[in-house]
Amino acid sequence: MQHCRVLLGEDPRLSQLSFVARELEKIPRGKLGLRTLKIALLSSFSIEFINMPLTVLCFLNGMEAEIYLPGFGQFQQEIRNPSSGLYAFAPEVVVLSVEGTDWLPEIYSGYLDRLTVGFDNVVSRFSEEFLSLVQAFRAGSKAILLVNNFVPPVWRQLGILDGQVGTGQAQLVHQVNESLSSVCRKNPGVMMVDYAGLVHRFGALRWYDERMGHYAKMPIAADMLPQLAGEYLKYFRGLTGQTKKCLVLDLDNTLWGGVLGEDGPTGIQLGSVYPGSAYLTFQSEILNLHKRGVLLAIASKNNLADVEEVFAKHTSMLLKREHFASVQIHWGQKSESLKQIARQLNIGLENIVFVDDQPAECAEVLRALPMVTTITLPKQPELFVRSLLEDGLFDGLTFSEEDRQRGGLYRQREEAELLREHSGSLEDFYRSLEMEVMFAPMDKTSLARSAQLTQKTNQFNLTTIRFSEFDLAERAKDPDWLLTTVNVRDRFGDNGVVGFMMARFASSILDIETFLLSCRVIGRNVETAMLAYLCQQGSNHSIRLLQGRVVPTAKNVPSQDLFSRHAFQKADEKESGETSWILDLSKASIAWPAWIKVVADVPVTSNK
Amino acid sequence: MEQQVKQVIADILGVDPDSVDVSTAKDSTASWDSLNHINLVVALEQEFQVSFDVTEIESMLSFSDILETLERKLQR
Repeated sequence: MQHCRVLLGEDPRLSQLSFVARELEKIPRGKLGLRTLKIALLSSFSIEFINMPLTVLCFLNGMEAEIYLPGFGQFQQEIRNPSSGLYAFAPEVVVLSVEGTDWLPEIYSGYLDRLTVGFDNVVSRFSEEFLSLVQAFRAGSKAILLVNNFVPPVWRQLGILDGQVGTGQAQLVHQVNESLSSVCRKNPGVMMVDYAGLVHRFGALRWYDERMGHYAKMPIAADMLPQLAGEYLKYFRGLTGQTKKCLVLDLDNTLWGGVLGEDGPTGIQLGSVYPGSAYLTFQSEILNLHKRGVLLAIASKNNLADVEEVFAKHTSMLLKREHFASVQIHWGQKSESLKQIARQLNIGLENIVFVDDQPAECAEVLRALPMVTTITLPKQPELFVRSLLEDGLFDGLTFSEEDRQRGGLYRQREEAELLREHSGSLEDFYRSLEMEVMFAPMDKTSLARSAQLTQKTNQFNLTTIRFSEFDLAERAKDPDWLLTTVNVRDRFGDNGVVGFMMARFASSILDIETFLLSCRVIGRNVETAMLAYLCQQGSNHSIRLLQGRVVPTAKNVPSQDLFSRHAFQKADEKESGETSWILDLSKASIAWPAWIKVVADVPVTSNK
Repeated sequence: MEQQVKQVIADILGVDPDSVDVSTAKDSTASWDSLNHINLVVALEQEFQVSFDVTEIESMLSFSDILETLERKLQR
C-alpha cells in the first residue's frame, strides 16, 4: 500500500491509476484482508469513469471497494422500485450524483422560457420530490445516502442581469440546495455532499469537459475525477472509523520560518510580513482544527528552553503551549516521539497525522511506523494550509459537544496523569479523582455522540461493530434493546459521554452486544461500574444470565480481559479467537467500585 | 514515442506492452470497449500533453491510428 502511494504520488495520471486498478483486479476478492465497502453509484451521467480512481483510493485507505452501477439516468427507478438491483446489492453507501441540468431543466436549460411564468413552485416541487425519494430509499435500505448538491450554471442565461432580476439562476440553485440540505438534515443517514463547493474549489471551467460531456455523456474532466472520488473518500473514511484524531507538528519551518537554534527566538519568521504571514495563516488553521476537537502535539528536534521562550514571549504565536496535549522536544528520532505521544494520549498510531517540512523526517517515520499518516510540507509556506486540509483527514461524520471541548478535556487528563504519579496506591489515585459516573438511556441529545463512539473507539471496544446515527435511532425504538450512555465527571471537570453500551433482553438473558469506553477514561474502573449497572438492570428485569462476547482485534487488547477480570465464565471459543462469556446472576453479581459515585436513571443500590 | 504509447495502451487495457503491435485494434481487443476507449484517449492526452478533438477521438481505433494522430498532433 505504501509503495502504491509512492508510485501514484500527489497527482496520479490515469494510466498509473489504471495500472494499479488492474493489479488489484488480479487479487481475488477478500484476499487482501481489507474491509470491503459496498458502494452503489447512482447518477444522471456516465459515472462509471469514476470506478478506477475510486477503487484505487479505497485501496489506499484500507478498503476494498465493491461497486454497483446501474445505467445512467436510472437513479429514480432504482430508488423507487423496491425490487431493483440497488436493493438486491445491499449497499453500505449509496452515492447520488446528479447534475442540476439533468434534474431541474426548468432552472438550467429551460430557464428563459420559464421566466415569464415564474419559479414559485419549482423549489417546493423539488423539495417534495426529493423527500419522497429519500423516503422510498429508506423503506428499502439502511445504507448511508450521499447526495451531491447542485452547481449553478457556468453560463447564466441572463448574463450579468442574473444577479439583478431577483429570480436569477444562481439564486434559484441556491434555494434548491437549501431545501436539499434541509431534507438531508431531517433524515438520519442522509448526507449532502457539497459538490458545488468542490467544483468551486477547482473552478467550473477546469472541472467540466464539454467535449466529453457530449461525446461520452461524462461532463466531468478526467483529471478531476480523482478529486470527486477523494471527496467521497472523506465520507467513507468517517464511516469506517478512520477519522484522524491527533495532529503532530514539527516546529522549525513548519509553525514558523527559520531554525530556532540558529536564528533565536526573536529571529524566527512569524508575523504580518511574508513569509511570516504564511506561517501565521497556517497556525490559525491548526487552531481551527483544535477547536474542532483535533488533538495537537509537537515532535521537534530542538532545545526545550528555546521553545519555551517562544511560547512565553513571541507575541505573534497564535498557538499557545496549552493548545498542545503532548509535547516531545528532544534530539531523538521522531518515530520515538510519535510512539511516546500515542502512549501519553492513549490513542492508536493509526489515528495520528504527522506534519514536517523535512522529507527525511517523514521518511524515517514512514519506515518505522507505516500506520502513521505523514504529510511532507511543500517548499512555499503559503501552500501549507492546502496540504494539511485537502484530504479532509480529520473530517468525521458527526460533530458533538465533546469535540468542541476535547482540547480542554485532554489538558484535564494531563493533570490527572500528574496526580497519578503523586498518589500512592492505585486505589488512592482512584479515590482522589472523585469520579462520578452517570448512566442514561441514549436519547436525541446523545445520539450523534453515541454513533461517533461506535465509529471511532478501537481500544476499549469488545466487538468493534460500527453504527450510524440512523442505525442507533432505529434500534432505540425497539423496547428489547437497552442503549445506555456513560458520562464521567471527575475533579478536573466533566468528560462528557465517554462510554456506550447496547444489550438486548432475550427472555431470561441480557445479551451485551456493544460495550465501549473512550480511551480518555481507560484504566479507572469505569468498566466495572458499567458491568455493575448491567447486573442491576438485569435483576430489575428478572434476568438470570448476563452474556457477552469478545471479538479480538489488533487494537482492542485493553478490553479483551474484561469478562475474565469480572468473574464471567467462558462459554465458548471460536477458531477466529472470538470468545463468549456468561455470568449467572442467581449466583454472582458485580459490585459497584467503592470509589465511584453512581448517578443513574434507575434506582441503584450502592454497596458503599 | 512508440514504446510510450504501447505502455499507455498496456496500462489502460491490461495487456502486455510487448504484445501491442500494428494488429492491435479496438475491434480485435476485448478490453478495448467504449469506456476504456475514453480512458485510453485521456491517458494519452495526459502522457503527451495534448488535447484531441471529437473527430480525432472517433478515429483513433487502432495502435497505428493512434500513432498517426499523435505524430500529426506533435508536429504542429
